[in-house]
Amino acid sequence: MIAAAEYPLTLWLTLGVLGIPLLASLSCFSIKQKFGWLAPLISSVLLLIASILAIVLFFQIRNGGEASYAWVWFTLNQKEIAFSILLDSHASIMIMIATLVSFLVHLFSIGYMDEDQHQLRYFGMLGFFTFAMIGLVMSSNLLITFIFWELVGVSSYRLIAHFQEKETASKAATKAFLLNKIGDIGFLIGLVILWSLSGTLEIADPNLVSIPPFWLTAAGTCIFIGVIGKSAQFPLFNWLPDAMEGPTPVSALIHAATMVAAGVFLLMRISYLFTEDVLILIAVTGAVTTVAGAIGALFQFDIKKILAYSTISQLGLMVMAMGAGAVQGGYFHLLHHAFFKAGLFLGAGAIIHALHQVNHESKLDVQDIRNMGGLRKKLPLTFISFAICAAALAGIPFTSGFVSKELILTQMATWAGNDFTWRWIVMGCAWAVTMLTPVYTVRLVWFIFFSKPQRDHPVEEVPVIMRIPLIVLSIGSLAVLTSLSPFHISSTINVLMQSYPINNSAISFLSTTMILISLTAAFYIYRNQDAKNQKFFSPHLYLDLISNNFSLFALKLSEATKWGDKLIDSLIHGIIHLQVGVAHIVTWADRNLLDGVVDGVGHSAKGLGTMTRSLANGKIQSYLLWAMAGLTIFIVWILY
Amino acid sequence: MYLLSLLIFIPIGTALLVLLVPSRFGRSFRSVALGVNIVQVIILLLILSQYSYEGGFQLIEKIPWISIDLGAWGVLQAEYFVALDGLSLSMVALSVFILLIATISSWTIEKNRKGYFVLLLILNGAIFGSFCALDFLLFYVFFEFMLLPMYFLIGIWGGVKREYASIKFFLYTLLGSILILIVIVALYISVQTPEASDRIVHTFNVLHMQDLNNLIPDSLLALDSLKLIGSFSFRYWAFLLLFVGFIIKLPAVPFHTWLPDAHVEAPTPISVILAALLLKFGGYGLLRFAYPIFPDAAIHFSWFVGLIGLISIIYGALNALSSKDLKRLIAYSSVSHMGFVLLGIASATVEGITGAMYQMFSHGIISAMLFLIAGVLYDRTGDRMIENYSGLASKMRNYSAFVLIAFFASMGLPGFAGFMGEVMIFFGAFRSSAVNGLIPTWMAITATGGLLLGAAYYLWTIQRMFYGPFAAKNVTADLTDLNNREYSMLLPLALAVLVFGILPQLLLNYINPFASEFVNNLFQSGNPLTP
Repeated sequence: MIAAAEYPLTLWLTLGVLGIPLLASLSCFSIKQKFGWLAPLISSVLLLIASILAIVLFFQIRNGGEASYAWVWFTLNQKEIAFSILLDSHASIMIMIATLVSFLVHLFSIGYMDEDQHQLRYFGMLGFFTFAMIGLVMSSNLLITFIFWELVGVSSYRLIAHFQEKETASKAATKAFLLNKIGDIGFLIGLVILWSLSGTLEIADPNLVSIPPFWLTAAGTCIFIGVIGKSAQFPLFNWLPDAMEGPTPVSALIHAATMVAAGVFLLMRISYLFTEDVLILIAVTGAVTTVAGAIGALFQFDIKKILAYSTISQLGLMVMAMGAGAVQGGYFHLLHHAFFKAGLFLGAGAIIHALHQVNHESKLDVQDIRNMGGLRKKLPLTFISFAICAAALAGIPFTSGFVSKELILTQMATWAGNDFTWRWIVMGCAWAVTMLTPVYTVRLVWFIFFSKPQRDHPVEEVPVIMRIPLIVLSIGSLAVLTSLSPFHISSTINVLMQSYPINNSAISFLSTTMILISLTAAFYIYRNQDAKNQKFFSPHLYLDLISNNFSLFALKLSEATKWGDKLIDSLIHGIIHLQVGVAHIVTWADRNLLDGVVDGVGHSAKGLGTMTRSLANGKIQSYLLWAMAGLTIFIVWILY
Repeated sequence: MYLLSLLIFIPIGTALLVLLVPSRFGRSFRSVALGVNIVQVIILLLILSQYSYEGGFQLIEKIPWISIDLGAWGVLQAEYFVALDGLSLSMVALSVFILLIATISSWTIEKNRKGYFVLLLILNGAIFGSFCALDFLLFYVFFEFMLLPMYFLIGIWGGVKREYASIKFFLYTLLGSILILIVIVALYISVQTPEASDRIVHTFNVLHMQDLNNLIPDSLLALDSLKLIGSFSFRYWAFLLLFVGFIIKLPAVPFHTWLPDAHVEAPTPISVILAALLLKFGGYGLLRFAYPIFPDAAIHFSWFVGLIGLISIIYGALNALSSKDLKRLIAYSSVSHMGFVLLGIASATVEGITGAMYQMFSHGIISAMLFLIAGVLYDRTGDRMIENYSGLASKMRNYSAFVLIAFFASMGLPGFAGFMGEVMIFFGAFRSSAVNGLIPTWMAITATGGLLLGAAYYLWTIQRMFYGPFAAKNVTADLTDLNNREYSMLLPLALAVLVFGILPQLLLNYINPFASEFVNNLFQSGNPLTP
């Protein structure tokens, strides 16, 4: 079934891109502890090779067309389940971005995790995380996708819990995994429905969708539940802000290229599977998430949490786009988001690292933006890169974020139509977020870099090895890579993808104006504001309350089952005691009643014996008497 | 070659020989036991080299055993009949592997070594005998033979409450055996050999029992028998007795309460054998005896079977969540995982049956690993309470790595063997309503809750015991990481878990033919009978 057999190079590239991160991971796990310093080097070099291969692979796919490979994995019920790979332009771009971002994160981690005791484990899991994501993107069999999907989940679990001695870290990891597991179970049920009704799990197999519409909707909904978990959508998004307990580069990876991107990518990959009803669900869920995330980001003080909520908001935007017929826009935003969000997180990591270096002893929370301020002059490079990435997040023209956001808005406008329906409300959410994003971005940048410093930190810029990723990612966040002209994006994009809609210049103009308005407004809001005066707002939308109560309920239920077991046991003990009791009664009866009877029989026998013995008294006369009597009786009996 | 007989009787013969050796050669007994295990590994390799993937019974050995002329009652006939098919081969392979590990794990036993290893060897032979026997009487003899060594192994070498646990185990299992025995007698009366003869020849041959044409007309279990107890025919009752007899062994809720006690009290190697092998007789018995012999009743009761499976999955998992003792938690997780086996069997689809067998195999490896892990900690501290530990990962790094592997394997993470079985069972359980209408889809969907609960109790345990700052109550000894002997057990198990998770075809080659044949036979002979 190797369709692109004439491109053996593609095959080797594919296997290389998939295998090298795994190799990096395995080699980290097999190195002895005392050679721990080797781990960052080995894995970074291997990831660099992988990203170069991924770039070559991308051009190979673009020039040579789609490639697909399949190897039979196992047979079940006489049907073959194949390890199959489908590389189209979407997948190859995603792979390229994932490996590239992962490489940059590796590079950054060399500096960031310099003093960590567990570098082997850290880099090992980082490589495995990348491997799992690449496998997920490549796979064209939903079972294989699911497998990598879960592997992504478990890698993130391990990485979030990297500082495992910290109680909060392990709790956050558990929470992330469990909330993801809810989604995963949804995904699994979706798979099960598809398998049992269509007998295949191949994405490319048309039989997959030839099942009754009701079940297709059910399957689509279930798979979307998986996306809700993995891509942090309402109502399962509250694991993502907690996941900030992991090392900051890990957050960059989770938010940009590997974890949360998986859900959105899957939505695009199997978009043809979703029925109209599922699409409505997707669009509405995305809309709720994007607004909730944006509001959450407005009221946080932890730099990483602000970024986490902005990720939730951006993911909601992408998911909404997927549901609202803006698949290309959503996908493009995913790619751009990977760059600027990785840049923002690594920038945050650089700030935290720099502050941490000088605040080793003090209990100062180095992640709180209120403790920063005025870092613009001290960390100029970090500032510039952070500002560019933040501009992309806010969707300011000439950045990549603007380009893809325009595309989403244009496509959604077509989708919403001219008459007012519920679709307009969904689209309204997209516009609301377009306006809200610049506000919290300005707040973030203002407090970190511009506001009056609370303390005078003698901070220094991060080491060179950590600066490279910042520079690369901020350049990637500029629009030059995707389009030279901000208002005519189709030119460059056409090179990347085969077909592409052109954005509507009226919408571009409108959104640019709105973004500028919010920028100005935000600037005036935060310019003179003291950060300490802000009110607290429950950003989790009370979802934590629900999940806590849910787990309490499960614990109560489990206590109940414990009592259930005690009940069963006491029943059994009762039966046994009853049996023993009966046995005692029987023993008593045996001893007294039955033995009495036996004794009675014995006694009577004894009496009888005495009687008969008395007959045999040894006197000839009496013997003679009895003999005569016997003889008489015998004769009488014979005669009659 | 008599490979199967060698497999069964080498350990039993060795046990008898060992009995003759005076106890003062204490240390040599374990080497003898290990030698037997190694010989068995070689025999297994020979078996695998001779076994073909086509399925059906292979390596058949059949010798007349008992033949008594009972005059008007016909002829009683029992045979020494052993053979392997996909089902028993997978179980035999698992047993060889696990018993080897168990012997290594028994290396540190100090108390009465001679008695211990004699009992272990008898148990060893009985396990293989039960898995290979195709004569119901022979199976029963071996099956009972497992009970006694197990009773003493728990009752003498166990923990504090060992007497209670061993008696509970014994009584429960004995009850199951009696129920099975009743059915064996009923079957014996009702089944004759197909070979033409002027007399009725009663047989215990399971293959004859599976062929409904061999039922004696107007007998107790004849298809058209009008004898009823309540509203069920004798056949249905016989199925229910067999079913209960085997799910006590499985164990399924509500017949499971012997398991946590037995596990908590049993020494580590015995826990390993109990969880990895003895529980499998529940599933094995259903697949080998209950379902094929009473296909009509099996189809009739499948909804009920599925429900018991579902209840076991959820109930066991919830109980695991509330367990405070690590070993008890693992024991309850076994209940939950064996519930999946029941659900797969109830679905009576090829996927479900394949999955049930795969689950039995993978649970064998994984539960062995889990109990060894609990044993490692217990050996060092004598304390298994979860709440007494914290942050073990920073103290025992390699140990924690294995714990993580075992826990994630047990919660069904893809890439590990447990996932393959569970996912196949879900495929089967869900497909059942479309293919044969035996169990409803809501059962399959509700059963997925077991996965979530599984993740919850394992992750919670990791969070409490292994993460966080290091602390260990009541522990004075220095906590050392794994030693070489422990590596030699955990490493092969971890590798096996991985290999069978990544290359399922290795096992499916053997069990696929069995599964499709099983389902075919079930519906060919069972369906026309059900109204």
